[in-house]
Amino acid sequence: MGLLGRSAAALATLLLLVVAAPAQDVAGADAAAADDLPDGAEVARRINARDEGESSRRRVRMELHDKGGGVRERDSVFLRRFFGDEKRTAIFFLAPTTVKDTAFLTWDHPEAGREDDQWLYLPALRRVRRISAADRGDYFLGTDLTYEDIKNETKVASADYRWTTAGRDEVEGHPCVVVEAVPVDERIGRELGYSKVRLWVDEEVWMVRRADYWDREGRRLKTSHLSDIRKVDGIWTPHRIEVRHLQSGHRTVFLVSDVDYASAIDEEVFTERGLRRGPP
Amino acid sequence: MSGVGGSGGARRLGAVASLAAALAAPAGAREPRITATLESEAAVGLRDGRAQKLEAVLEPELEWRVGADLELTAVGRLRGDAFDRLEPGSPAQETTASPTRRVFWGDRVDAELRELYADARLGRASLRVGKQQIVWGEADGLKVLDVVNPQSFREFILDEFEDSRIPLWSARLEVPVGPADLTLVWIPDPTVHELPEPDALFAFTSERLLPPRLPGHAVALEDLDRPSAAVSDSDAGARLHGFVGGFDLSLAYLWQVDDRPVFRARRGTSPFGPTLFFTPTYERTHRVGGTFANAVGDFTFRGEAVWSSDLFLPTEDPSDADLAAETSELGLVLGLDWYGLRDGLVSLQVFQSWLLREVSGLLRDRLDTTLTLFVQRRLWNDRMALEGMWLHNLNDADGLVRPRVSYQLGGDVTVWLGFDVFYGRARGLFGQFDARDRAVVGMRWGF
Repeated sequence: MGLLGRSAAALATLLLLVVAAPAQDVAGADAAAADDLPDGAEVARRINARDEGESSRRRVRMELHDKGGGVRERDSVFLRRFFGDEKRTAIFFLAPTTVKDTAFLTWDHPEAGREDDQWLYLPALRRVRRISAADRGDYFLGTDLTYEDIKNETKVASADYRWTTAGRDEVEGHPCVVVEAVPVDERIGRELGYSKVRLWVDEEVWMVRRADYWDREGRRLKTSHLSDIRKVDGIWTPHRIEVRHLQSGHRTVFLVSDVDYASAIDEEVFTERGLRRGPP
Repeated sequence: MSGVGGSGGARRLGAVASLAAALAAPAGAREPRITATLESEAAVGLRDGRAQKLEAVLEPELEWRVGADLELTAVGRLRGDAFDRLEPGSPAQETTASPTRRVFWGDRVDAELRELYADARLGRASLRVGKQQIVWGEADGLKVLDVVNPQSFREFILDEFEDSRIPLWSARLEVPVGPADLTLVWIPDPTVHELPEPDALFAFTSERLLPPRLPGHAVALEDLDRPSAAVSDSDAGARLHGFVGGFDLSLAYLWQVDDRPVFRARRGTSPFGPTLFFTPTYERTHRVGGTFANAVGDFTFRGEAVWSSDLFLPTEDPSDADLAAETSELGLVLGLDWYGLRDGLVSLQVFQSWLLREVSGLLRDRLDTTLTLFVQRRLWNDRMALEGMWLHNLNDADGLVRPRVSYQLGGDVTVWLGFDVFYGRARGLFGQFDARDRAVVGMRWGF
């Protein structure tokens, strides 16, 4: 090879390096980014490891918007307390009169395979009714949130899904890692009513900011947004939760206020007697 | 601060202001809250096309948390019925103790202080004193253990229990006992069941509910002999309730005057010849019972049972001197609720009444069985509810079917349309109203 040939070869090599280098950098960046994405199961673990306080009390105003523009509003109080690893949640409806004094209680047992215990107080019956907790995919008292959604609050049922990371995105300017969750088996999927859930998780606060749901037939079902997330008593708390049911056109908005993680809540609140008495 | 002696004066003024504020509004006090419902319901007979009722009911409710441990509740009812067929005229209210009675204006409008009670926290215990409803039991549609309060049968069993149950002046103390709650009740209110007059739309005609007949005898009804002494005729009871091993369990004891009248006969003569003179009396009984409930998968199963020591039933055995035979009764219900229907409920119940002592000449079978089936489906985010209740008595082959559709309009307004259809033999509890089938339309507005 003469001087020109060696020069051409050198130039070609140089060009190759120049061309290859960015590709190598992109590939390296992708590799680096892929390496940077947390494992899906780890994301679920981080979400559930977030501090949510030993107990909490919050006022929740529910707005139920139907596709025709009609709105039903409900005023309620949510109370929650941990008894060891067992979580007990009581919800008391304050207004309007159609639901006033209606109350719901659930004991979420940590043992795998043990069903939750749930009760419903209906003021018209003047008694507490034991109800089945198996239908966690049923919608909670006319809202677009299921009983499972209500029970989990801002956590996730990690054992019910297989978790995979899908990438990164933004929600309202907040960087998020995107995770896809698929029910672990047919039975779980049938109970929950979902074939897939995609979640946008804010890694700064480890809270889901957005979630898209697919029904059992693989059709888009609903989408939820958590916003106005700020610290109360040192605990990250969403103050607005909106769920749009894409198939029915119905929309539910939970407006959260008067959040209190500091005050103690009497254990009696989370009993049948507490349901009948009303919120403290 | 001028005129009050500088900083020391300011502190005194602040202390006085704080004391005044504390005296004016005890800790935990809240402003009284007043809500109300206005309900209107019309019923038309399906057989004769006649209006059965056009009713408007206003129920205001006052809730006032006076302090951290004291709350007052008052519920009133103002009711008017344009057709006055359910209780024609102004009822004498002989079955109701004076402090519990309604006030009538003419024949079509009545007012009632439904409930008035104070709830006081006494440490971990709570005391409710006043006119109130005390509800025990797990059954829907019919009653087994829900017998603490008497009932108005003005509209047979078609009215909601909350509306037909008669609140009584009573005291209820709830005390935590370990993992359970003990409830003690004392009811110095001798009010008993309010039964329809013979000319009322839902007057009883079933032989199971009326004084017995003997061949060749006329029948006359005398004034009722109802307990009326508040203390010596009072009822008392206790109930222990807890959550054990996944089961909601309760045990109850009630020592009470049975709210059902016993028609005791006296044989005599009248211008109509040999006559049976019946005096409605009321007898005391012991009641011991319990309930259970649990949930497994899509199902909840529940039940209740109550043994009554003394039950007096009409008998046509002529050898019985007063035609009122004494026995004891075991009443029970088993219920199974299925929540497997998305946004729905299917509930099946079996009620049985078993007379524990053989008695001749009775007008009912020794073992009486009624089945109920309730189906509900909620639609459009609970805006609409489709439901139906079917009650069927196996012994008399009679029953009642109650389909309903209700819809929540905007705001706090609910409307409904339904039917109450009776069928079966006239001697049956349901069949006696076979001619009273009706269509019902109504509206409720809460504010």
